[in-house]
Parts: sequence; C-alpha cells; structure tokens
Amino acid sequence: MIITRHISAASSGSRLIFAALLLAASLSGCASFKEVRTFASLSANAATYDALTRDYIGALDRRKQYQPQKFHGDLETMKMRREAQRASLDLLQQTVTNYMQGLGSLASGDIRTFDRSLDNLSSSLSDATLLDRSEKEAVGALSTLLARTTTTLYRQHEMKQLIRDGNQPLQDVIAATRKIVKRGIVADLQTESALAGRYYDNFMLAPDNPVEPVAMALAKEARVEALARVDNRIRGAQRYDTVLDEIAAGHQYLYDHRDRIGQDDFGRQFKPAVDELRAAYRSLLDVSR
Amino acid sequence: MEKLTPDDAFELGNLFRDAAIALGDWRIKNRASLSQSQWAELDDREIKLLNAASGIYTNAIGLVLTESQTSLARLQSSVKNAKSAVRRIAIFKQVLDLASALILFAGAVTSGNVAGIPAAVVALEDAAAAIVESSDPES
Repeated sequence: MIITRHISAASSGSRLIFAALLLAASLSGCASFKEVRTFASLSANAATYDALTRDYIGALDRRKQYQPQKFHGDLETMKMRREAQRASLDLLQQTVTNYMQGLGSLASGDIRTFDRSLDNLSSSLSDATLLDRSEKEAVGALSTLLARTTTTLYRQHEMKQLIRDGNQPLQDVIAATRKIVKRGIVADLQTESALAGRYYDNFMLAPDNPVEPVAMALAKEARVEALARVDNRIRGAQRYDTVLDEIAAGHQYLYDHRDRIGQDDFGRQFKPAVDELRAAYRSLLDVSR
Repeated sequence: MEKLTPDDAFELGNLFRDAAIALGDWRIKNRASLSQSQWAELDDREIKLLNAASGIYTNAIGLVLTESQTSLARLQSSVKNAKSAVRRIAIFKQVLDLASALILFAGAVTSGNVAGIPAAVVALEDAAAAIVESSDPES
C-alpha cells in the first residue's frame, strides 16, 4: 500500500513537472514588449509640448511692443479668444499622452507584483512539509509559469485590442494637431516675424528719420535678435510636428503588425521606428531648451 | 452658402499675411517717394492686415478643434479602456493567487498525504478572502 502511494505520488509529481515544462515551452515563444514599452514611453513624453500653447497665446502680448497703442485692444480681444481655446489645445496633446501611458502600462505590466505573490506561494510551499521535494518544485514551477504566461497573454491580447481600436482616432487626433501646428501656429509665427521685421525697418528707414549711426547699429542688432527668437519658436513648432508624424507612423506600424506583437523578431523590426521617434524628440528638446 | 472649412480659413489667413508682407516690401522699396503721412498710413494698413491674418488663423484653429471632437472622444474612450485593462490586471492577480492556491491544494490531494491538505486549505481560504474583501464596496 505504502509502495503504491509512493509510486502514485512520484507519478503525479512527474506529471506536474511535465506540465510545467510544456508551459515553459509555450512561454518561450512569448513575449518581449520592450520596444512597444519604449515607444509608448517616448511618445507619452514627446506628445505634450507645453511651449506650443503658451507661445500661441503669449504671441499677442509679445506683439504689443511692435504695434501702436491703438491696436492693443484688438490684440487683447484676440488673446481672449485664444485663451478660450487653451483647454481644447492642451486636451489634444494630453489625450495622446494619456493613450500612450495606457499602452505603456499594458506593455510593461507589473510583473514584480506577481513575483511577490509567487514568493508568498514559495513560502507556503515550504510550510507544506508533507509534500515531497519534487512535488513542491512542480507545484511552484507550475504556479510561476501559470501566472507569467496568463498575464503575458492577457497583456498581449489587451494591447492588440487597444491598438486596433485606438489607431484611427489617434491618427485623426494627431492629424488635427499637426494641422493646427503647421497651418495655424507656424503661419501665425510667420506673421509675428513680419511684424517684428517691419517694426525695426520702420525705425531705420522711415522718411525724414535723422541718421544716427549708433542707433541704427543697435536697431539692426535688435532686429536680428527679435527675428532669431521668432525663428526659434517656428523651429520648435516644426520639430514638434515631426515628432507627431513619427508617433503616428510608429503607431500605424503597430496597428499594421499587431498580430506579431510579442513575437521574437517583432522588437527588432519595430526598433527603427522607435529610433526615428527618439531622434525627432531629441531634436525637439535641443530647440526647446 | 457653404461653410468655410479650416483649410479655406488657413488659406485665407495666408493671403492676408502675404498681402501685408508685399505691401511692406513695396513701402520700403518706394520710401523715397512717400511722405511721412503716406508711410504711416501704409504702415497702419499692414498692421491691420497682419492682425487680421492672426485673427483668421485663430478662427481656423477653432474650426479644427471643433472638427476633431469626435476623434478626440473616441480616443478618450480607448484611453479609458486601456486604464480599465490595467486595473483588471490587478484583479486578475487575485484570481491567479486563487489558482495558485488551488494548484497547491491539488498537489496536496494528489500526493495522497492527507496531512498536507490543511496548509493548502488555509492558502485557498486566504486567496478567496482577499478577493471577497477587495470586491466588497463597503471595505
């Protein structure tokens, strides 16, 4: 009887170990989401460019110095209209950031929480003194693999679903933001550049102006500096536009290849898109510092 | 009459801006033949045109913002789903704890050693209690 029980226990332990090995084999095909995580994290940081809205609204105050007092009332009215758009403009950027944070959370998962929980299991397994060593190992291995496999598969499934559902609205929101940046904000900054240029031109070239070489030299210098400041803002907006373009392209890649997310070679193939986004973001940071 | 699209409005803004710039170029090129008052009059017109261009860009941006409301709402809904998925992982962990406890229980039972069962039962009860506690809205 005792012999039979030992044989039965050994056999059940072997079965558990075999099942654990099977699970281990299935797990080996899954799943590094490292590149998705990196892409989501970079996108979440890069999608919010605070200077954009700030400059767009602040433009009206900056322009007062280039216009006679009689126009300041119009500028104030326009500033109020832009202030009313602030929340919507911020929301466009913030929504892309929120979306990417959500994607990043799914891609990273909190494996440590599961590992802590599995540590507890190991300790209760040690307390279960009447299980033999091989059975304990088998139960422990199975539990670990079950937890990791199911969470990995679950995350993979949720990520694919999020990317599938989120792609079109994300592309639309990014396209709207890009249109505002390129066709609205950059064009408006070009107007500011024209205003600043004509202000200093007037100072230097107006009819009957007395020729004052020192004042002219100072005006020339001030003109160059003023235009350089506006150019820098234009460059920032254009680089932000490039960042948005890279985010949209990267997400489109994820959408087009969503069924391959988690496969061995997916990260390597997605990496160029991540690298391009990183380069665009660095370029934006260079100009906005 | 058809409504102005954002693209039409941006284009219109560009026309105003470019007209102002062209006017300024003409004024500077012909400054020798302009009186002080003519110079000032043209200067005023340029400022008005440039401010009008900015006003049109502001309107066009407002039109884009209005148009993007539907996409924005859909994307926000995706964000909500992502957050909910992440939250479900936390709850899922408890289910996994329960599954682990069940495996421990099964291991104890299949070992054929009855004395091993109480520890497994305690683990199972703890896991179940954790789930009940966290899903209880009063807790």
